[in-house]
Amino acid sequence: MAAGRNDGRAALWPGVAALAVATGYLIALLAVERPAVVIALLAAGIAVVVAAAWLGLFGRVSAAFAEHENRLALGAVTAAIALAAVFHEDHFVLLLVTTVLLYSVATLGLNIQFGYAGVLNFAGASFFGIGAYTSAVLNTHTAIPHLVVLLIGGLLAAVIGSLLLVPVLRTRGHYAAVVTIAFALLLKTFLEVNDILGGPQGMQVPSMKILGWSFNDNIELAGVSLSFYMNYFVVSLLLLIGAFIVVRRLERSWVGLNLDALRLDETAASCFGLDIARWKITAFLIGNFLIGIAGALFGMVGGFVAPNNYTFADSLILVSILLLGGIGNPWGLVVATFIVVVVPEKLQAIQEYRFLLYAAMVIAVLLFRPEGLLPRPVRRYFPGWQP
Amino acid sequence: MDLGLFAQYVMNGLMLGMMYALVAVGFTLFFGVLDVIKFSHGDVLTVGAFTALATFVGLTGIGLRSPWLELVVMLVAATGAMALLGMLIARYLVMPLRGAPPLNTLLITLMLGTVLRESVRLFYPQGGNPKPFPALLPRASIDLGDFNLRLDNVMMLAAGVAAIVALQYLLNRTKLGLAIRAVAQDEETARTMGINFTAIVLVTFAIGSGLAAFAGVMNGLYYNEINFGIGLYLGVIGFSAAIIGGLGSIYGAILGGLLFAALQTVGTVLLPFASAYKDVFAFAVVIAIMAWRPTGLIREKISERV
Amino acid sequence: MTALLEARGLTKHFGGVLALDGLDLAVAPNEILGLIGPNGSGKTTFFNVVTGIYRAEAGSIIFDGAEISAAAARTVYRVGISRTFQRSRLSLPLSIFDNIMIGNHKHLNQSLWFNLFRRGDFKCEFEASYRAARALVEVFEPALADRLFEPVEGLPMIDRRRIEICRALISAPKLLLLDEPSAGMTHDETKELMDDILLVRERNRNLTIVIVEHEMGVIERITDRCVVLNFGRKIAEGPYRAVAADTQVQQAYLGVA
Repeated sequence: MAAGRNDGRAALWPGVAALAVATGYLIALLAVERPAVVIALLAAGIAVVVAAAWLGLFGRVSAAFAEHENRLALGAVTAAIALAAVFHEDHFVLLLVTTVLLYSVATLGLNIQFGYAGVLNFAGASFFGIGAYTSAVLNTHTAIPHLVVLLIGGLLAAVIGSLLLVPVLRTRGHYAAVVTIAFALLLKTFLEVNDILGGPQGMQVPSMKILGWSFNDNIELAGVSLSFYMNYFVVSLLLLIGAFIVVRRLERSWVGLNLDALRLDETAASCFGLDIARWKITAFLIGNFLIGIAGALFGMVGGFVAPNNYTFADSLILVSILLLGGIGNPWGLVVATFIVVVVPEKLQAIQEYRFLLYAAMVIAVLLFRPEGLLPRPVRRYFPGWQP
Repeated sequence: MDLGLFAQYVMNGLMLGMMYALVAVGFTLFFGVLDVIKFSHGDVLTVGAFTALATFVGLTGIGLRSPWLELVVMLVAATGAMALLGMLIARYLVMPLRGAPPLNTLLITLMLGTVLRESVRLFYPQGGNPKPFPALLPRASIDLGDFNLRLDNVMMLAAGVAAIVALQYLLNRTKLGLAIRAVAQDEETARTMGINFTAIVLVTFAIGSGLAAFAGVMNGLYYNEINFGIGLYLGVIGFSAAIIGGLGSIYGAILGGLLFAALQTVGTVLLPFASAYKDVFAFAVVIAIMAWRPTGLIREKISERV
Repeated sequence: MTALLEARGLTKHFGGVLALDGLDLAVAPNEILGLIGPNGSGKTTFFNVVTGIYRAEAGSIIFDGAEISAAAARTVYRVGISRTFQRSRLSLPLSIFDNIMIGNHKHLNQSLWFNLFRRGDFKCEFEASYRAARALVEVFEPALADRLFEPVEGLPMIDRRRIEICRALISAPKLLLLDEPSAGMTHDETKELMDDILLVRERNRNLTIVIVEHEMGVIERITDRCVVLNFGRKIAEGPYRAVAADTQVQQAYLGVA
């Protein structure tokens, strides 16, 4: 698959078409109820994707995104708003979509650590949970403004993460792996034995209030009734847009180059002046900060937190999203997050099997298509820039 | 602390250390031979334990009652099946990824571990709940003052030691062991000397996985129960033990296993209020050791040429 | 005249193997020094110790008046020493431009704030860097100059070596260490590469080069002087002709009759 042409300008329409088709498909998928129809839709979706790959259409779409990214990003935001408009009264769908948005922010954070800097983090869900528990504790016991609570959630995840990782960042990758796995296992047990944090049942999280506007009530707008989840949807979308922009700029800068250099060849990178420890730590902190903020917001969206939602297996789901979507490619990540989160919700029958299924899919991807669904293209510092 | 209690702690520590060492040795073998971290190792242990349990159920089903015979058959079934599983993993998942970045092998084995673990949870009858494991060893025990020395623990300890001694003998005194060490040192040279690389890799994985099954059965006998998550837990401990001992060194793995068990025991004594904290303590110390001696207490094999 | 780089008594073991045995070596400013010797004589180890990848157990290294024996690799780079590697070490998935820019680390603004939030200024720096990289690539292979954003992965070996040299040169180092740059090249390609190196040196009279090579024709042609290593020690030094005629050197390469 081509990495995107950089001579002559790629057309815009393949990107627009892809966005339109994807949005329509997603609306359909979210709207249908009966399992048989869902399965039929999924099968059709797979067939279309395979056909598109075979016809080489993915290359055109990649090129369109590479060349016209800013406009297509605007299109994607519009599509998201359209989606929300279609389902403006549906609590379940809005909650699901909001979950996808927040998981996307978390995987974007994981991507900085893993996809760019090559630092393994198998406790992504644990840090997400730290953010959620921060919301629970601070919203219940303090009067700190909720937007600030989000920031604190991010900072806490970053600080705890650095305590964990800094000692082993000088060492080989597998050390970080085992340290994060151990942390994931231990945090769950720690939360379960600590009654102050609610023990195994967890804690309630008071819902979000910004400047007196409570997020818990349905909204009446020009005679149209909107689900109260719309509040959370808007904030989450803004968060995702912000995270996406930060991640994009990070990659398209000397910082992104440093991270790639140290991931691909540490020794050579240090011979050219790179402070390996400093950049690994930076990447890890920024990544965890994003994960923590997303988690803090997620706690408020769901209304309660419990240790069982932030286990090692959940961390592996996040890693699976990264590998399925294409490491290093933020667009691929968002697409993969949608698939991984939405499908088990629509097909309740496979909910129980989702860890097994996703692990098996990742094995297949690693054996046959390690670049993932949407491979990461070569770095273009300014889309559309010609020398 | 009185002598009896102290002796009890020591015995527990030795038992745990033995089991951790058996798992750690597997990790170190795989790393030594192929430079891979096989994260599914712990879950192979789980599958081995459940294979033994299933064998037991089958044997009682056909009316067999002799505990010794049952134990032997279970061990043979579990170690044999896991040895085979290890070879399949090596052949179809690890070796094809040799050209890819090492990260991919780590990931694929991690995912495989999940597949194994979830398969046990989903497909073994009532797999999500802890399952009682039969007590097949003699229940006799000797009272030495305050300390109750159980015969089955002594037997398991002896068996574990015997397994490790047998492994050392295999590695250091046989031609096969020589071939394994040659491949671990320098693959290319070993190949040019006529060693069948693939065969050695498969054999090594078989040995490591068989050891895991052995550890799984031991675990079941010791706790009288097994659950689908036990392998993950032991795997993380075994891997940490292998790292602080120095990846690639068998002695290091044993040392690491015993050290981890000792840390847990110290943790239990220091922080008696919740058993979870003993693990937090042990891992905190392990992370500190990793930071202090990144290549392990006995040097990790250097594999990079500049 | 003071040496630009002076190593005294460098000693380095790898396990049981003695790679550097009390090595004394001096590099004069602005010269092109050839470093030769049979395989395993310590040439690459010397480079690795100088550039801070390994630390010598004994001895000292002085560069431009400063002691760098215990310096980390990134410090060595910052004081002006740059290198290529025996095994080509480029980041294959990255573009030619990216690979070269890795070498330009000290001239690029690395602050997070600048990179994330001052995009206008960043763009200026990016464009200036592009022009600099392009100019350098044009010296070695004009055909590549328009393809700077292609991944290195697809390029033939000789182009990769050229890009590696560009990566080492982009930061305008004072000392350039070349480790078997012509490995894997044909005669003509080697000649071309050496012409280009000499051209770079023409334009930049401040550059000092140490080159490890096995092709004696190259050594003879472009070096001012040679140092011969064997078993981690210096056994001869002087202009190539003199050194090639030295019986000790011949024995080292060919063995004693």
